[in-house]
Amino acid sequence: MKILVCIKQVPDMESRFKPNGSGVWFEETDLAFRMNEYDEYAVEQAVRLKEQLGDAHEVTVLSIGPDRVVEAIKKALAMGCDRGVHVQDPAASLKDPWQIAAIIAAYARDKGFDLIFTGMQSQDRGSAQVGVTVAEDLGLPCTTTLVGFAYDNGTITAKRELEGGVKGVVRVKTPALVTCQLGLNVPRYPTLPNIMKAKKKEIEAIPVGDLLREEARTATASFHPPAKKGGGIVLEGEVGALVDQLVGILKDKTAVLR
Amino acid sequence: MNFELSQDHKVLRDSVRDFVEKEIKPLAIKIDEEHRIPEELIAKMSEMGFMGSYIPEEYEGAGLDMLSYAIVVEEVSKACGSSGVLISAHTSLACDPIYRFGTEEQKKQFLPDLATGRKIGCILLTEPDVGSDVSGMSTMYKREGDEIVINGGKTFITNGGCLGTGILFATHDKSLKHKGISAFIVDLKSPGVTILKNEVKMGIRGSYTTAFAFDDLRIPAANLLGSEGQGFKIAMETLNGGRIGIASQALGIAGGAFDRALAYSKERKQFGAPICDLQAIQFKLADMYSRIEMAKLITYKAAWMKDNKMNFAMESAMCKMCASETATYVTKEAVQIHGGYGYIADYEVERMYRDAKITEIYEGTNEVQRVVISKMLLA
Repeated sequence: MKILVCIKQVPDMESRFKPNGSGVWFEETDLAFRMNEYDEYAVEQAVRLKEQLGDAHEVTVLSIGPDRVVEAIKKALAMGCDRGVHVQDPAASLKDPWQIAAIIAAYARDKGFDLIFTGMQSQDRGSAQVGVTVAEDLGLPCTTTLVGFAYDNGTITAKRELEGGVKGVVRVKTPALVTCQLGLNVPRYPTLPNIMKAKKKEIEAIPVGDLLREEARTATASFHPPAKKGGGIVLEGEVGALVDQLVGILKDKTAVLR
Repeated sequence: MNFELSQDHKVLRDSVRDFVEKEIKPLAIKIDEEHRIPEELIAKMSEMGFMGSYIPEEYEGAGLDMLSYAIVVEEVSKACGSSGVLISAHTSLACDPIYRFGTEEQKKQFLPDLATGRKIGCILLTEPDVGSDVSGMSTMYKREGDEIVINGGKTFITNGGCLGTGILFATHDKSLKHKGISAFIVDLKSPGVTILKNEVKMGIRGSYTTAFAFDDLRIPAANLLGSEGQGFKIAMETLNGGRIGIASQALGIAGGAFDRALAYSKERKQFGAPICDLQAIQFKLADMYSRIEMAKLITYKAAWMKDNKMNFAMESAMCKMCASETATYVTKEAVQIHGGYGYIADYEVERMYRDAKITEIYEGTNEVQRVVISKMLLA
């Protein structure tokens, strides 16, 4: 079985974001980057599947971006992926989800992957489009927001998270693509011996120009912080009047008492 | 020249940081209060490979380098100075001399258990009357056929209470001073080994500091480390590398205290604004951070020099001195920034203040470091 995991490197979400000079993305200087959280679930699940199936099965991890994304690839290799693919693109943040999906699909098309794992969305752009668009580009069945995963003899049994805490179960035959959600698993820590082993694993570098043939379909118009909130309302006066005022506000301005 | 960590070192640092945040940080107060590191945590750290970071893979270590080791000790110590010194004393003072001075048989026999944390290592050098002046030691050994018989006592043994593998120093003739000293690999669970006490300390309270008595402790003659009479050299060279471990521990304690002080200064409001708006606090933060960065540069440089097989004796003395004094300074200021809350255990900086002090004392007091540095300057 050939497995592909697609990962993205994103800024640490505790960073302070500032719009960059062009005003369509954030300033990347001085930010700390790490693997997108949802992609960690994808890597973990792919590695667990390999452990279930045995060493003859291979997990490839792919990431698109500047040189720094190799750190995320190395982490995935230290978690147990077998080989890495770095699609070199210093301007990946300017590409829309359609183009990112097209790059992945162009790489994967003739490789015969039986299963592709992606995160359900990235923590920075959060479009949640890349996984499903790759499936569409490759003509694969796809199931999303996995919180449970089992594989047996060519069939995936996927537990999906639906609205309001409701879960659904989907069965899908490979080849297929799945996107992973919080709750699917607890990703392992890369251990020191595995970090050492990862150093010896191959990372293939491919210039983005070799894979990308698509124009962007969407463009980001602007990137800006939310407007500053005004201060709260302070009610003053007799308790009885205060209660009436408060109930009035809750009725008029919120859904609490409707 | 390049001052940036390699991508491999960044992956390592982030992985260790994640582990420390989730697995060690929540236990740090308990470790201090109960004067012990839970077995389960030692097992988890061992599984992570923290006990054999730079021991080669053929002896079941991770096979990484000295800089990786420094980063591990630093990151662990940010949350818990006791856990940091467990790793540092184990790696630098027990694994390292076996790896550097041991025969192939000794490496194969002892390193795998140590590098995987099945046994915790320690060095048995200090005696009640022998601290900085190692040549005056009085623990005696004598040969009896294929055995070495040891009598005497050792004190202040970091990790001693774990009763794992020790590097024990003893003399066969006190009049020979440092030339009479040899080093032996001992199993501390052997008959003839008695724990006199585990000390109660000001800081790093989770770390064992043990006093031992040896009464006809018999070990195979094959456990002699290096050659007879080489003990003093082994001790000095071992402490050289150990200083990088202690510098990393000090750096971590300082970093942990700084992170807390910075966060607290943004949250704590007085006079209608966060206290970080006050220049008195801002100057403290600037001084603290600058000193941490300076200590980090010299510590990483010493590790880098060891990795590149350069003579790092002076740098290891400087980094130990510089980082430990940074740690006591930064933790003191961190308590001050926290005000009254800094004196309360729940805020953890008081523990870091207590933990920091020992880094100026052990593995060569800072006075000894100054002697080492000035001797090299004037040689």
